[in-house]
Amino acid sequence: MSAQPQPQLPPGWQATWDQNAQRYYFVHIESGTTQWEQPVAVASPPVVTSPLPGGGPGGVHHAARKRQYAAGQTQAYLGTAGADPSMGYAQPAPADAYGQQAPAAQPGGQFFTPGLADDPAAQAAAAPAMQQPSYYGGQQGQQQPGQVDRLANQFGQMGMGAPQGQKPFQLHTVNLVGMPIDPRELLADPPEIRLPPGACISNNPMANADPSYQRCTINAIPSTHSLLNKSRLPFALILTPYRSLKETDDDLAPPVVSDTIIVRCRRCRTYINPYVTFIDGGNRWKCCMCGLANDVPQLFDWDQQRGQPADRWARPELNYSTVEFIAPSEYMVRPPQPPVYVFLIDVSYAAVQSGMVATATRTILESLDRLPNIDQRTKVAVIAYDVTLHFFALPPGSTDSKMLVVGDLDDVFLPQPSDILVNLTESRTALEALLGKLSDMFQDNHAVGSAFGPALQAGFKLASPTGGKLIALSANLPSLGPGALKNREDPKLLGTSQESKLLQPQSSFYKTFAIECSRSQVSVDIFLTGSGYSDVATVSGLPRYTSGQTYFYPSFNASRSEDAMKLAHELSTLLASPIGLEAVIRVRASRGLRMSAFHGNFFVRSTDLLALPAVPWDQSYAIEMQIEETLNQPFVVLQTAVLHTTSFGERRIRVVTQALPTTQNISEIYSSADQVAIATLLANKAVERSLSNKIEDARDAVMNKMSDILGAYKTNMTAAGSGASAQLSLCENLKLLPILLLGLMKHVGLRHSAQIPSDLRSYAHCLLTTLPPQLLIPYIHPCFYSLHNMPPECGTIGEHGVIMPPPLPLTSERLERHGLYLIEDGQTMFLWIGRDAVPQLVKDVFDLPAYDQLRGGKATLPVLDNPFNQRVNAVIAKTREMRRTPYWPHLYVVKEDGEPPLRLWALSALIMDRADQTPSYVQFLTQLKDRVNGGSFS
Amino acid sequence: MGGWWLFLFSVLAAAGLLFTMVFFIIMFSDLECDYINPIDLCNKLNQFVLPEMIAHCVLTMLFLLCGQWFTFLLNVPLVAYNINKVNQKNHMYDATEIFRTLSGHKRECFFKLGFYLLSFFYYLYRMILALIQGGLEVKR
Repeated sequence: MSAQPQPQLPPGWQATWDQNAQRYYFVHIESGTTQWEQPVAVASPPVVTSPLPGGGPGGVHHAARKRQYAAGQTQAYLGTAGADPSMGYAQPAPADAYGQQAPAAQPGGQFFTPGLADDPAAQAAAAPAMQQPSYYGGQQGQQQPGQVDRLANQFGQMGMGAPQGQKPFQLHTVNLVGMPIDPRELLADPPEIRLPPGACISNNPMANADPSYQRCTINAIPSTHSLLNKSRLPFALILTPYRSLKETDDDLAPPVVSDTIIVRCRRCRTYINPYVTFIDGGNRWKCCMCGLANDVPQLFDWDQQRGQPADRWARPELNYSTVEFIAPSEYMVRPPQPPVYVFLIDVSYAAVQSGMVATATRTILESLDRLPNIDQRTKVAVIAYDVTLHFFALPPGSTDSKMLVVGDLDDVFLPQPSDILVNLTESRTALEALLGKLSDMFQDNHAVGSAFGPALQAGFKLASPTGGKLIALSANLPSLGPGALKNREDPKLLGTSQESKLLQPQSSFYKTFAIECSRSQVSVDIFLTGSGYSDVATVSGLPRYTSGQTYFYPSFNASRSEDAMKLAHELSTLLASPIGLEAVIRVRASRGLRMSAFHGNFFVRSTDLLALPAVPWDQSYAIEMQIEETLNQPFVVLQTAVLHTTSFGERRIRVVTQALPTTQNISEIYSSADQVAIATLLANKAVERSLSNKIEDARDAVMNKMSDILGAYKTNMTAAGSGASAQLSLCENLKLLPILLLGLMKHVGLRHSAQIPSDLRSYAHCLLTTLPPQLLIPYIHPCFYSLHNMPPECGTIGEHGVIMPPPLPLTSERLERHGLYLIEDGQTMFLWIGRDAVPQLVKDVFDLPAYDQLRGGKATLPVLDNPFNQRVNAVIAKTREMRRTPYWPHLYVVKEDGEPPLRLWALSALIMDRADQTPSYVQFLTQLKDRVNGGSFS
Repeated sequence: MGGWWLFLFSVLAAAGLLFTMVFFIIMFSDLECDYINPIDLCNKLNQFVLPEMIAHCVLTMLFLLCGQWFTFLLNVPLVAYNINKVNQKNHMYDATEIFRTLSGHKRECFFKLGFYLLSFFYYLYRMILALIQGGLEVKR
């Protein structure tokens, strides 16, 4: 590249040689813009107006008031220096910058592999990368050596179905200091898994596990424990084996092996998979984990349905990484049980007044059709509780229900043996009548107090013979009978080292009860809608060990339609989702690897067996692993098997197989590390740490891990070695790890603050330990969009649904006073509106005459007959449904000069900023750099 | 003070404690081999945790009462450790955490096993010593 002649340029441009990058960059003399791509004649700085509606008055006015930031920084982020906000709220600069330079990305296209064209998922993932050159294009001669190569490599790594065994991994070191953050890269796929040629017996691109099912923190396993230690990278598996399918994403259900021939290794019980080898002319197969030669059963090559020989190579278990086997009776302890749902509904004064009872019963009533009930075996019971328990006998065929009250809370009994837990289909009319009038029945209930524990015990008594799901709704702190809790919230403790006491359970009831539930295959989901202290910390122990989930609605009030909407959406999604009952998860790994720790909502029943009474959809589990002996084989296989009973009464085994190459080369370990998986694991570990020790310790542990990794990287991979260095180097594929971990440390669950009630913290902990990476990453690193100047195609329907605006780095520098922004973390959305928003914008979006009329807080945007409003609404709707999630984020309208708590809450999502005691991203990097330079990493 | 009967009793007590520890260790390895599930294991072991601690504590008190200072001091650290554990309420085995803490529990059990084994032989030695001395006194 150094021998390049000075390129030909259009007038007004100048080429300048960059010593560091060893290539020319180009300066537009008039505007001072620089870029790496060679300009073509039309590429003058953009002053084109975009055809946005309402681009009216007020433009110049705002330009004058626009905040000023350090030139270099703004340019680095914006892509062009001439970002002149000359047009109303439709500021064209970023839009055009993307539009204009997108063609420059085309040369990068040559690195695409043919396999990519057929794979929509990979295409979608590659899309952000396509735009990357424009992002880097605007950098002002920043020291970024080997930029083109790095991009090329990135494209190379994108290629999922790439033929194996081509060029070796290239490790690209970047300097984190001064590097701009592109949030789109968080959506990219993990580094490619490069298996040795011939490892897989199938050519199917789905032969290795999709990251949404299973991903590893390192995609090339070090062959020895000491090598792993040297890299300081954590080694763990992130699983979401039972994830939902989104029809819009061309998501296919895992293929089902319908004949009951389940081929497994005799010794290690591994299921046959695409990584085994057939020997002896195909009569035997060699296990990929333990190396034992097993016989291939006769019927393996026989199509039982048609009664003729079949092609073994077409069998799904040899072609797909994720398959489901239908299990024969050897895999059952008892005949498949029907799905059982027991609803425990709080009908005390507080619950009825908040409208929770009405909302919940209506939702259940409307969801009855969506409950998994294909073979009409589903059973349902309803128990209402306040200071007593109200059972309802729902005789089949009748339209009336009989209420039976039990007042003995210390020794709960069922008032009658039958008709309380009833078949949904047979007793449908009685159930519908009951749900329709339940709220009215207790309308005048003045009972204060909650027999939550006894209600749970009653529900357990009903469900325990079959196993099933308890869905408990509570609006009060449990106050009666076993499981009664004290209000122990003490604002004086918040933010001190004593705080973690509030995050630990205060009563052992919920844990012991959970163990009993787990044993009887009963799973508990809890919906907390209390207005006061609900002690999420204690109560959430129950879902935690019974593979349920805690849902928390602080100060719920159904008279706000948004609150009712959120509860109804989440409850009905839960009811409609199919569940896998009586499940166990076991992860098997090649010889030399061992599972050492498990994180998530389940009960560990044996050293490597996780018991889940009901596997919910889209819950993630993290499993730490250890390398016990030297790995001599060229690749290792990690196989997750979920044995469960489907809601339609079939015993099934879902098997997810992932093969990863081994390596002795430390640079390969780094270049194959998966930052998203690492962040997910560290979130789990940090939560555990903050419960067992102090929250401060958890933050320190995260910080230490990051500086450890950086220090080890510097020692092993850079010329600086152990000496001091002005750079903070890390490999390209881990470059967003610091920001993710900063987000984690600043998260509600871990942030240092005396303002966060322990309920909110505990709830955040529940989410941090259960969300799959797809949801967890936005949860710790929110998405930030600028809406007032989004490119014209955003918010309209494109090839993959609604086109989203490009995400911005999370800093308030990007907030302009006349702007409209969306900040969302998958759980809440903030619609931020600047104080100088033009009346037209307010009118278009909120249907209000002026900014002053606008009120902050929970809101629903009106749907108006103008294109901008429809696009904003489309973006919000897309945000709510683009991920695999049961959650329905609230939308808060935040005014720049509105109430401080809401404003600060929204601003706390902008994690790159400094907030009272937490560092900004730049400060965080400086701290890391000091630690790396100061510490000795040898 | 402190005749052979004291050490005879302590030999028997140490043997009993020794067997408890062996039982604990066997149960833990059963758990590792998946012969028993953690819930049953914890229910079973938790019955023995407090009796074991109390037995050891009583034995130590007995040494104190009988004025066996050296033997008493030998046992004090373990009593203090046990009391500390009870105070922090983590003396019981927790089925949900058992796999995370298993190695620690095992180490603790092995340590106690060794301690009881040594003290068993020490008590035996002291008992024999006391018997011989007692015999000599009788002869005289």
